[in-house]
Amino acid sequence: MSIFVDVVLGGVFHAAVLFLVAAGLQLVFGVQKIINLACGSFYALGAYFGITAVGLAIKLGMPPVLFLPVLIAAGLAIGLVGLPIERVLRTIYRRDESYQLLITFGFLLMFQDVFRYLWGATPRTMDNVYLAYGSANFLGIRVPTYNLLVIAASLAIAVGLGLFLERTKTGRIVRATAENRDMAEGLGVNASRIFALVFTVGCMLGTVGGALVVPSGAASLDMAVDLVVESFAVVVIGGLGSMRGALVGALIVGLMRAAAISLVPEMEMLSVYLVVVLVLIVRPAGLFGKATA
Amino acid sequence: MKLTRRDFSRFAGAGLVAATAPRLFAPALAQDKPLKIGIIAPRSGAAGTAGECGIRAVQWATERMNKEGGIAGRKFELVIEEETNPKDTIERLRRLILQEKVDAIHGLISTGVSLGVAPVAEEEQALVVMWDGTTQDGVKEMMPNPKYVFRSTDNECEAVMGSLLAVKHFKGKFKRVAGINPDYSYGRNNWEAFKQILARFGVEAEFVAEQWPKVGTMDLTSHIAALNAAKPDLIFSSMLFADLPVFMKQGHAAGLFNGVKMVLPAAGWQINQLRKEFTPEGIIFGHNTLYFDHPQASPLQKAFVTDYMERYKEAPHWEADRAYFALATYKAGVEAAQKAGGKWPTQEQVAEAMPGLEVESLGGKGRFRKDKIAEQVFYQGPSTNNNKYDFPTLASIDTFRAEQLQKPPGMDFWEWIKTAKMPV
Repeated sequence: MSIFVDVVLGGVFHAAVLFLVAAGLQLVFGVQKIINLACGSFYALGAYFGITAVGLAIKLGMPPVLFLPVLIAAGLAIGLVGLPIERVLRTIYRRDESYQLLITFGFLLMFQDVFRYLWGATPRTMDNVYLAYGSANFLGIRVPTYNLLVIAASLAIAVGLGLFLERTKTGRIVRATAENRDMAEGLGVNASRIFALVFTVGCMLGTVGGALVVPSGAASLDMAVDLVVESFAVVVIGGLGSMRGALVGALIVGLMRAAAISLVPEMEMLSVYLVVVLVLIVRPAGLFGKATA
Repeated sequence: MKLTRRDFSRFAGAGLVAATAPRLFAPALAQDKPLKIGIIAPRSGAAGTAGECGIRAVQWATERMNKEGGIAGRKFELVIEEETNPKDTIERLRRLILQEKVDAIHGLISTGVSLGVAPVAEEEQALVVMWDGTTQDGVKEMMPNPKYVFRSTDNECEAVMGSLLAVKHFKGKFKRVAGINPDYSYGRNNWEAFKQILARFGVEAEFVAEQWPKVGTMDLTSHIAALNAAKPDLIFSSMLFADLPVFMKQGHAAGLFNGVKMVLPAAGWQINQLRKEFTPEGIIFGHNTLYFDHPQASPLQKAFVTDYMERYKEAPHWEADRAYFALATYKAGVEAAQKAGGKWPTQEQVAEAMPGLEVESLGGKGRFRKDKIAEQVFYQGPSTNNNKYDFPTLASIDTFRAEQLQKPPGMDFWEWIKTAKMPV
């Protein structure tokens, strides 16, 4: 029983962060049809900026329990970097997909040097947040409370995003633009503004994910590339462009990884990519993706 | 002006002298130019902290040695290049040799990289003194007798020492053993060495869990959960990159270390990140060849540590010592070769002179063996949090020499472990 609870808690924590980044990737692809390889950089940017923001909060004498909201606010604020980046991407919206891949890959590499310049090459850690919330006893297992808070925050963001897309007027416009941009523009939708909004929200999902995860780990130059690889596994499993797919894909990747680590540690990577291969063979569009002709 | 034949002869003679002068005085002029030492070290990624610490140490040493007259009377300067993957690092090595025309190359931390670099250095006849790199594929020496390449101590020295200290300090106090080690040959060999040494000393241990996170994994929650589920009495981990403090922090939050003994033979590399609030006391804590807080430190170590901590607001670790050792042995080699030959030595002559020369490094005395593998002093011991720093220090210091911890030239590591006379 304890192994089962361990696997679920470890897997869901990993999935919570992975979902945020993959959701940003899905949102941007769903509306703008851009496969944004720079999503990993936004995640890393959130992590680095989160450390700076908490450093500032400490200087201002804020109590450690407020650091979690500070991190979320920092992630949202630095996510605004999506606006100028979207302006650059506008130049290639109508071009071949390979241009889009190359330019976002360029951003991924360029951001590494930005991080190196601003925060240095050494991995940066933040100790005072992760331990400040103590530990909780969950079905006989000691779990860091911070992990539970991250899972809760990620769930809240998923629900909020779902409500925004399904229940609000702007959300409906976003979905309409995703379905048929020309038709939406014909009905008076300012597609450029929608694109800027969507890309910035996608960016914020990544930066908030990075800011949330950094107290438990570290911000490092490699974290962007590592996460891109895992996010694409999520997207392949869930289906490109599907938010529901991002959620289910993240859970599958997180739980498979956690189960493999507990039961057969050598199979950590294999277990995840076995699912990816299976999905590609049996359901190439992913579990929730739309098949294209 | 009228030019007579005599004037012409005089000018022609002076011209001839002027034209040939650079050749006549070339060696003397060359010796007036500063020596160039190429440094190849990582400044980013998982090993970035280590590379940075080594670079800071050689910069400190350069300033100090140049003030004292340099190397055999010549000042020297550093040309620093980044160590990344084997292919790119080999290109940078060639650039240093062919374009920068350096007199020697120091550095290299990753054995994965140094395994690729070493044959190229031999081919180019370039003197390379490695900081932490070896030419071991696993525990098998791939280059038993190089001419130009000097290697660090065997990677397993710290694991052998940590294992011996686990026997010394913890024998009879643990039964269930778990390991979490980096998933490459270093981690695999260290874990195997630990198990074999326990067996050799009659420790009846049950190995209840093995975890192999990839270097740089920052979410170790599931690995920690698996270790927790195995309920170990002792955890051995040779993690040494930024993932070690992450493991300690996440493990502490999950209650993994309550009543559990720990052996961390390579923890010293991350000393500044291992905060007291999540690092329990009593860990067998490895500092490799430099323990920054040694109460009987040499004046050289004291001067270095004081300057380093004042300047960078953190403690130096063993990479500083490895970098200093490389420079000090090179300096001794050049000076010995010059004295023997009476003129400025070639790289080959320096390489011939270096083995056996004992030098004082930051962490103690050391030298290169005839097969160009380093022999230095190692420091480990049980940790304490009762100190003025944010991180642990050693409650007591165990000191072993590399001769006691690494296989002799030509011997198989696993055979040596079974038969070696060990200092516990």
